[in-house]
Amino acid sequence: MNLVRAVASHRVLRPVISALGTLLGVAVFVFVMLRAIPGNQITAGLGTEAAALTPAQQAALEAYYGLDKPLVTQFFNWLGNIFTGNLGFSSRAQQSVLELTAQSLPVTLELAVFSIVLALLIGIPLGMLSASRPDSPRDAFGQAVGLMGLSIPSFLLATALLAILSATVRFNPNGQAFAYFSEDPLLNLQQMLLPSLVLGFGIAAPIMRTTRTAVLEVRGQDFIRTARAKGVGPRRLQVRHVLKNALVPIVTMTGLQFGYLLGGAVVVEQIFSLPGIGRQVLLGIQQKEYALVQSTVLLIALAFVVVNLLTDLLYRIIDPRVRAE
Amino acid sequence: MTEISESAPASLAGVQSGQRLRLLLKSRSGVAGLILVGLLAILCVLAAFGLLPYDPLAQAPQQRLLPPSAAHWFGTDQFGRDVFSRVAAGVASSALIAVVAVAFATVVGTLAGVSAGFFRGVSDAVVSGVTNVLFAFPPLLLALSLASVFDRNWFTIAVAIAIVYVPIFIRVTRGPVLSLREIDFVRAAVSSGQRRAAIMFRHVLPNITSILIVQVTLSLSWAVLTEASLSFLGLGTPPPAPSLGSMIYEARTLVYIAPWTMVAPGVIVVLFVVGLNLLGDGLRDSLDPRNRGRK
Amino acid sequence: MIAGRRARRGTAVAVGLSLAGALVLSGCAPAATSTGSAAPSGAAGAGGTLVVGVTSEPDTLFPWKATQFQAVNVLQNIYGTLTEFDKDLNVVPGLAESWDTSSDGLTLTLHLRKGVTFDDGSAFDSADVKFSLDKIKEEATAAVAAASLASVKSVDATDPETVTVHLSAPDAGLLANLGVVNMAMLSSDDTEAALNTTPNGTGPFTLKERKANQSLSLVRNDAYWGDKTKLDGVEFRVIPDESSIVSAMQSGNVQFAVFDDPLVAQTAAAAGLAVAKTPQLSYHVLQLNARKGPLTDVNVRLAMQCAIDRQQVLDTAAAGEGEITGPITSPAFRSDPNSRPCPTRDLTKAAEYLAKAGKPDGVTIKTIVSQGEYSTSVNEAQNLKAQLAEAKITLDLDVLESGAYVDRWIGADFEAAVALNGGRPDPDGAYSRYFTSTGNLNKVAGYSSPELDKLFAEGRQTSDLAKRKEIYTQISNNLEDNAVWIWMFTSYTYTATTSNVTGFTPMANSSLQYLRETAIG
Repeated sequence: MNLVRAVASHRVLRPVISALGTLLGVAVFVFVMLRAIPGNQITAGLGTEAAALTPAQQAALEAYYGLDKPLVTQFFNWLGNIFTGNLGFSSRAQQSVLELTAQSLPVTLELAVFSIVLALLIGIPLGMLSASRPDSPRDAFGQAVGLMGLSIPSFLLATALLAILSATVRFNPNGQAFAYFSEDPLLNLQQMLLPSLVLGFGIAAPIMRTTRTAVLEVRGQDFIRTARAKGVGPRRLQVRHVLKNALVPIVTMTGLQFGYLLGGAVVVEQIFSLPGIGRQVLLGIQQKEYALVQSTVLLIALAFVVVNLLTDLLYRIIDPRVRAE
Repeated sequence: MTEISESAPASLAGVQSGQRLRLLLKSRSGVAGLILVGLLAILCVLAAFGLLPYDPLAQAPQQRLLPPSAAHWFGTDQFGRDVFSRVAAGVASSALIAVVAVAFATVVGTLAGVSAGFFRGVSDAVVSGVTNVLFAFPPLLLALSLASVFDRNWFTIAVAIAIVYVPIFIRVTRGPVLSLREIDFVRAAVSSGQRRAAIMFRHVLPNITSILIVQVTLSLSWAVLTEASLSFLGLGTPPPAPSLGSMIYEARTLVYIAPWTMVAPGVIVVLFVVGLNLLGDGLRDSLDPRNRGRK
Repeated sequence: MIAGRRARRGTAVAVGLSLAGALVLSGCAPAATSTGSAAPSGAAGAGGTLVVGVTSEPDTLFPWKATQFQAVNVLQNIYGTLTEFDKDLNVVPGLAESWDTSSDGLTLTLHLRKGVTFDDGSAFDSADVKFSLDKIKEEATAAVAAASLASVKSVDATDPETVTVHLSAPDAGLLANLGVVNMAMLSSDDTEAALNTTPNGTGPFTLKERKANQSLSLVRNDAYWGDKTKLDGVEFRVIPDESSIVSAMQSGNVQFAVFDDPLVAQTAAAAGLAVAKTPQLSYHVLQLNARKGPLTDVNVRLAMQCAIDRQQVLDTAAAGEGEITGPITSPAFRSDPNSRPCPTRDLTKAAEYLAKAGKPDGVTIKTIVSQGEYSTSVNEAQNLKAQLAEAKITLDLDVLESGAYVDRWIGADFEAAVALNGGRPDPDGAYSRYFTSTGNLNKVAGYSSPELDKLFAEGRQTSDLAKRKEIYTQISNNLEDNAVWIWMFTSYTYTATTSNVTGFTPMANSSLQYLRETAIG
């Protein structure tokens, strides 16, 4: 019991074990949920033709897809394989899940990064604009743009943009085969342009609001008034002092949005034909490729959990108030 | 996306509801939001009582793809159905799903979060564990998978969305409850021997209502968007029940020949979400003591 | 100083804006400069790569297990079969140059084409044919076409260019069944695992490369036994959203696509693309399970048949894009849709049949319908429900997602099912597995009778076309007189091409085999 209590109150061990527990929970949850969805890989592949299978053929296919073993065995086989680096095999793509993810994850990451960059480029200036004169038309404008971004569904914006641009100015780089950044940087950037705009516009709002609130808060504080009394010019004040101190909440909010982007980009990936990780999971669910979905979801959860863990540990080390908890 | 409100809880217990309403009306966004949501609520009521100009499901192949006119305010779709009536029914359907989903998430999430924060110990560990697991999933993928498990109808979709939202309500309520526990009058109540449940209801819950109200409005707006996204991916309420997302989905192919089939549901869904967001902003402004002085 | 910083910031903004502008402008360049699209080279009709827009990639590259149409479309161009179909779905020679059937119909001798090689260079001979047919029959292979070889007793490779197939009973449908890609001839040295990564076929194209979830590229097979393809290659590009495919065709990045949604086709036409409409073998039907519930009584089924106006279903669900049909859709044996107890809607007769069944107050039928499998399913179901309600027949609809629908369909766990079933060039191939008592889909079909068993056996006995037509007309009438199912209509497939694509002929079995004669420019 003393060991448990020691671990439970240990500064580093406790969050780590909690993170591992979360991952195990995710693994069990996704395993069970997938098998609760009607159908399996056989019926997903053959469709109604599966009705024509004889029992021997059915058994052969079940063995081929690994569906014949008891559920518990399947679970531990999968989990055990993960520890040896074998995330499973996609018979549809004829590649290991690891390879597939290595190809698709960078695409989504690139999309997420560009979206955040665009969101910051839109959100921060708008937020500062709004905060420069609160409750003025300027403020209303900034807030309105942010509100639009928050309210327009990404699929609506994406569909409308794509349809209009390809019909009128024939701008459709996404109609070409997808190019990775390393293969053809120019084409890749063009292909990322519209999707990042759509996603970035959507997440610009929270960033704008956080900027506005943070800037307003910081501006009211003593050290700003002192600096102004000392004669520091307004522009320099804005950038140097205000923005720097407002950065912390902005960064936190940005981090939150990143997590959302990893999974929420699936609709944009569909519309713009980007071979990202969201599409990979969606296809896996449709084709009932259990290992593919399980391992990919676990990977995404791992990324999420690791980031949280690091932030948590970082706060505990930096902030003495948290440490005392 | 998921915005977690950050207002301080403790000093609001004294604000009366009449005062709150007046403050809400003072806020410009609050008023605008109230008007928008009110208008759309009227549409919902019309749809619920069958007072629409046309039956949203009635097909009329001869009147296929007609542009907006006096007879059909938003035109007709590929099956000759009146787009205005379908949009109204779609608003009602989205509203129903959003309200049920958020209600479910609020009740379950609040109970779990408050119990976890108040009683701590094992219940806290279990609740926090479940919250962490659910949070680690990308939200749209979670909703999508859950919606595929059961026979698809509006209720199962609402439950799927609710499950995605429960962790947010847990997190939003647990935090304040943790700090409330330490406040003097709660401590006093505990030591004076009052029953735990009574303390929860009498002292703790009223103090977190304002956060809950704001979170509910924000969650409603996101629930509408999630339902629309699910419908767009073909995983929403099965046709022919009108849903704003599936109307936009079906209109994708018609954008060149009949743009009104996409513009109408698109604009309405945007207005709906804008209205809810404005309402949420207004509520937050009126309920947050820090902002009370300004607007 | 502040001025300096402002100037620097201004420069940064200017540079950023011009970069962005350059990015956008270069994307607006006409299609000819983009990579991967058609590059007409030299003489018109020679070369180039055709880009085909598809919503998903093949789920398997192993032809014996391929049923999804994306897989079938690709594999048809890589692999060869003993017989093939021409554009009117007549059976023509493929890898078998000619054949003779013995007078008792029990021996089929195939004379194989000479000089055919697989992609890996090995020669195609009778050993490969024997290997393929034997393996397909083997249950452990789980080949979907196994049941089509039910009448095959044994296969002999009599000499390298001749194969003798011994049948247990005459099978007039066998030659047509040998023409589907699920009967592809594989090399006797190959295994499924190897073929899944590296296909090895005898078709007009070979696989060049494959990028999971992105594209699959074929290249001309210079060792093909027939006319070399005019195209240098074909790229099947994955664009998950159909309207995005139309956008890509508008901007010239994609030159070819096949749609089954009439609305998408309408949009494509409005966007200036050439759209060809082809009636299909597949048929829209309200399947009835005559072994369940109120449907065990033929009068209830006949009442349903009489209560439905098929044209109305077609008009409301599919914008009139289709043709009313009887059971048999194979062109040479097509049923007369008017040859049924109620060719037009007759509510009086429907009420009479219900009364005869002892159910004058109506019946309720539990019906399943899929969502998302094909575009018109739910709208058909809704219209059927509305029409039948007027005859006091209530369709209790269960709208199911694909996986759930397939599970219930396979288990025959329904009283009625709104379905789109695939047709075949030969009526025996299309229906014997459903409506004979030993058919492997008979459970799902929900009906069999000694008369039908006898008729189907007769249909297999003779190869005489006139005689077979007669027999299958009888089968068709039997099915309609007993209202076994409610056949509604066949719909179209829409082939959209940009103006520079010529030489493609769409087929009623939705095969893309004429890509071998297609040219760009």
